[in-house]
Amino acid sequence: MRGVNWRHFDFWLLGAVAILTIFGITMIRSAIAGNIELQELNLVRRQLIFAILGFVVVIITASIDYHTWSTLNQTMYVGMWVLLAILFVTGAVFFGSARWFDTGVILIQPSELAKIVMILVLADFFSRNQHRIHDLRVVIQSLILTIGIVIWILLQPNLSTSIVIFVIWFALLFVSGLKPKHLFAFLGLGILAPIVSFPFLVDYQRDRIINFLFPDPEARHGEIYNIQQALISIGSGGLLGKGYGHGSQVQLRFLKVRHSDFIFSAIAEEFGFIGTLLVLLLLLFVIYRCLLVAKHAQDAFGGLIAYGVATLIAFQAIVNIGVNLNLLPATGLTLPFVSYGGSSLLSILLGIGLVESVALRQKALEFSTA
Amino acid sequence: MSPNGMPEKHLSPIRLTIFMVVVGAIFSIYIFRLFSLQILQVKDWVARAEENRVEVLNLPATRGIIVDRNGIVLARNIPSFNVVITAANLPDDVGEVQEIYRQLSEILGMPVNLNRITPDNPYVPCFSQHGIAQIAEYGLSSTPYQPVRIKCDIPEQVARVIQEKAVDWPGVSIEIEPIRDYPTGSLTASIIGFLGPIPANQEEEFRAKGFVPNRDKVGYAGLELQFQDLLAGRNGTWKVEVDVAGKVIRGLEPPVNPVPGANLRLTLDTRLQQAMTGILIGEIEFWNRYLNTIRSTSGVVIAMNPKTGEILGMVSYPTYENNRMARFIPAYYYNQLINDPANPLLNHAVGDVLPAGSVFKLSTAVGALNEGVVTPEQVLSTPPKITITERYYANDPGREREFVDWNKAGFGQLDFLGGIANSSNVYFYKLGGGYRDEVPVGLGICRLGTYARALGYGEYPGIELPEEEKGLLPDPKWKRITHGEGWSTGDTYIASVGQGYVLATPLQVLLSAATIANDGKLMKPTLIREITDAEGNVIQPFSPVMRWDITKDAVIQEFYDTTIRGCEPIEGQTKTVQPWVIDKVQEGMRRAVTNGTLTREFRNVTIPVAGKTGTAEYCDQYANAKNLCIPGNWPSHAWTVAYAPYGDPEIAVVAFVYNGGEGASVAGPIVRQVIEAYFELKRIDTALGLP
Repeated sequence: MRGVNWRHFDFWLLGAVAILTIFGITMIRSAIAGNIELQELNLVRRQLIFAILGFVVVIITASIDYHTWSTLNQTMYVGMWVLLAILFVTGAVFFGSARWFDTGVILIQPSELAKIVMILVLADFFSRNQHRIHDLRVVIQSLILTIGIVIWILLQPNLSTSIVIFVIWFALLFVSGLKPKHLFAFLGLGILAPIVSFPFLVDYQRDRIINFLFPDPEARHGEIYNIQQALISIGSGGLLGKGYGHGSQVQLRFLKVRHSDFIFSAIAEEFGFIGTLLVLLLLLFVIYRCLLVAKHAQDAFGGLIAYGVATLIAFQAIVNIGVNLNLLPATGLTLPFVSYGGSSLLSILLGIGLVESVALRQKALEFSTA
Repeated sequence: MSPNGMPEKHLSPIRLTIFMVVVGAIFSIYIFRLFSLQILQVKDWVARAEENRVEVLNLPATRGIIVDRNGIVLARNIPSFNVVITAANLPDDVGEVQEIYRQLSEILGMPVNLNRITPDNPYVPCFSQHGIAQIAEYGLSSTPYQPVRIKCDIPEQVARVIQEKAVDWPGVSIEIEPIRDYPTGSLTASIIGFLGPIPANQEEEFRAKGFVPNRDKVGYAGLELQFQDLLAGRNGTWKVEVDVAGKVIRGLEPPVNPVPGANLRLTLDTRLQQAMTGILIGEIEFWNRYLNTIRSTSGVVIAMNPKTGEILGMVSYPTYENNRMARFIPAYYYNQLINDPANPLLNHAVGDVLPAGSVFKLSTAVGALNEGVVTPEQVLSTPPKITITERYYANDPGREREFVDWNKAGFGQLDFLGGIANSSNVYFYKLGGGYRDEVPVGLGICRLGTYARALGYGEYPGIELPEEEKGLLPDPKWKRITHGEGWSTGDTYIASVGQGYVLATPLQVLLSAATIANDGKLMKPTLIREITDAEGNVIQPFSPVMRWDITKDAVIQEFYDTTIRGCEPIEGQTKTVQPWVIDKVQEGMRRAVTNGTLTREFRNVTIPVAGKTGTAEYCDQYANAKNLCIPGNWPSHAWTVAYAPYGDPEIAVVAFVYNGGEGASVAGPIVRQVIEAYFELKRIDTALGLP
């Protein structure tokens, strides 16, 4: 690779990511103990394979010049569009939504990959049009580009991933220098949109929001029950936690989906406040390092990629932990690096790979001062 | 250089900072929230986590058994077999599960699929009509680790077959549930009683004692009710850790083992009980057949050891089959019982208050002799009827009223023994109310009351049955309050022969005769011989309880002469009954058998018996409904009370037949046969060398 200085590889970033991932696998192992079905599926080994695969992807992606993606832009976009369309038409139905491709061995969730593709596509678009960002037409163009992909994800139906992509779009727009006037207009629209779209939501999505806003104290099962169990798990963890493999909420399965959506609660129970603080600080550190890469990127495209990935990690983490803490309504968003899920781990590590690729090709000015 | 050759422009550093600050702020909120949950509120959440995982299991205690005096089992627990499915343990393969259902269906003769379980048609273990698949499905969704009952009370043989097959049928098993069983059934139902579910209004009370509603059963009647606390024992508890599906993971503390209930050994002799039942029903049916009409529908026989108060047999007819209540109380059966005018659910022997009739004359006799109203030798004329002036107050000019004897020919001249032996009404009218110059001062209602009370009337006898009644000994005050009019002279005459307002239970009638038989000692009647714990150690051995000896304990209250303000007891003035009085009454009762009302019935009996008959006129709602209450010719209950052997009594028997007619001819044979049966059993026991 020409002009690449591996000394600029952000080992701090990769190190933090590695700790989070390994911690996640460890926690998954504890979370599925006692559940024969999940143990039979061998989730730990699967996640481990995905993690190893993911770190290989990080190295490979880092070594590829990220500008390459700029040229493959249209191909990727069209490819993603077709993939999602096929999924919508033929996809295997899991949990009431067609989100997966069953390859026979593993299930692939294309919408996870779509997040990364959209970061690349939008980063490319905004870096090309940064000088015309004040033109509302450019903004609309970028929105249409986003909707083109999101529409399929929304139809799956997968509201949370759709929102993630919209957030990435908006964050990229924001950092590209969107006029404050437009910024506030979009923010207003962002607040208004959920209210207007509420009647069009699918039943389970509506229920989740209603449950969050007006919890029914009598409900013993369902969403409120899960959230209540999450709070019990978190709160009973205390300062130091009940110890790895000793959380009664986790081990006796009172906490649901404890290996994916509610893994944060499982960590909170077994490792206590110290454990959750560590996870939060690690995540914050990862986001910070991505932003640092974005700041020092060689060009706007690279900066936007790193920033996009930071947004993705930050938003998913904020939403997932917010749900665990009962500060946000329940969504299906996983905790980056930690939650179980091959596709999402692979995608997010692909994102880290891209960030590293940008870091490796930092501005000349920065090397000299470094 | 950017690849598209556009002028290079970097991201806005301020906006990057804003982004980082926003993310940092949100994370700070989260950390604060975590601090609040994990550090500040930790206690509450730990408590809730404990509440989730800790469960206190209730371990059922075995109910005590009841046996008769010879060890014959009257109430026990037998295993009942239920087929259960623990949904979580069923095979994963749907085909395999279906195959199990199919074979189970064949063995049990119940369908695999039948009626969906809905809120309108809920699953009720053992009762609701649902298919195997529906019940198993219900179990899977509600309590996957808890067995659900597919079919209850299957024959033991079928249970064994399933148990054998269950080796290859994971999830299917046989649950053994203890069920109360009464081997003697209706023979002892009115004494033993039956069990039922914990009533909703007593749920809290029982829960506090460690009972589990819907699982534990409690006594509803008889000894099962009376000795509920003793028989039930105490349930144990075990604090365990459970998972989300309710599966027990491990014990957290050593279990508090249940304490099994105590066992009761009764004073009853089942053989005598059996004989008594047959004799009573035989006699009632004989008369019904003889008269070609259903004259009598109910009756009572009680046999007691007068010296100890032990009840040897107690039959209340009609009765019910308590085994039919073992599993649940069938509504149609229960309704049938409570709507029956003969009231089979009531133990009439202790719970029915009836006009006692002539058997009550024993009280009048004891009182009159002890008070010197007459002397034993004094001869009174006993014409077919006497006329007295009925007065309601002292200066009431009054109204003439006739009092007739049951013997329309009259008895001529009678002394005391003759009066008792022939049960002459006129004789006892004169004793009770006085008559002209012949008996200047009668016993009077107040003194009659205290003597009757001394013989066991008017108070609870203290037998261990929840429905026992105390009857009624009327007095002027009582009449003033309940009837709003004064006590009349006629009321006293009527009360002297046990009619009018006087009411008593058959047990009280028996007690009065037994007290006389026992030389004035009133024993507390009892059904309990001894109480043993689960290991057979005697907790409470038998010791007869004497309530009082009327010849030694001053239980006879003295009264002022006037009854204007009702009976006025003289404070502190009480006395005893002189022993010779008792002897005379005993003699009179013996005379009734040798030369009196009972002579015909007892002519072939070799054992010396003493007794007293009673023909108690009554008019209740049922008699009224049949237009039987013709003035001067009311229907009557038949009574006879007797004891034997005269001189050294070991058994006292009372027989009562509702609407039986004449005491001697209807109730007399019952008493005679019971006494014969008792001595026959005694002869057999002696021959076998049994105590």
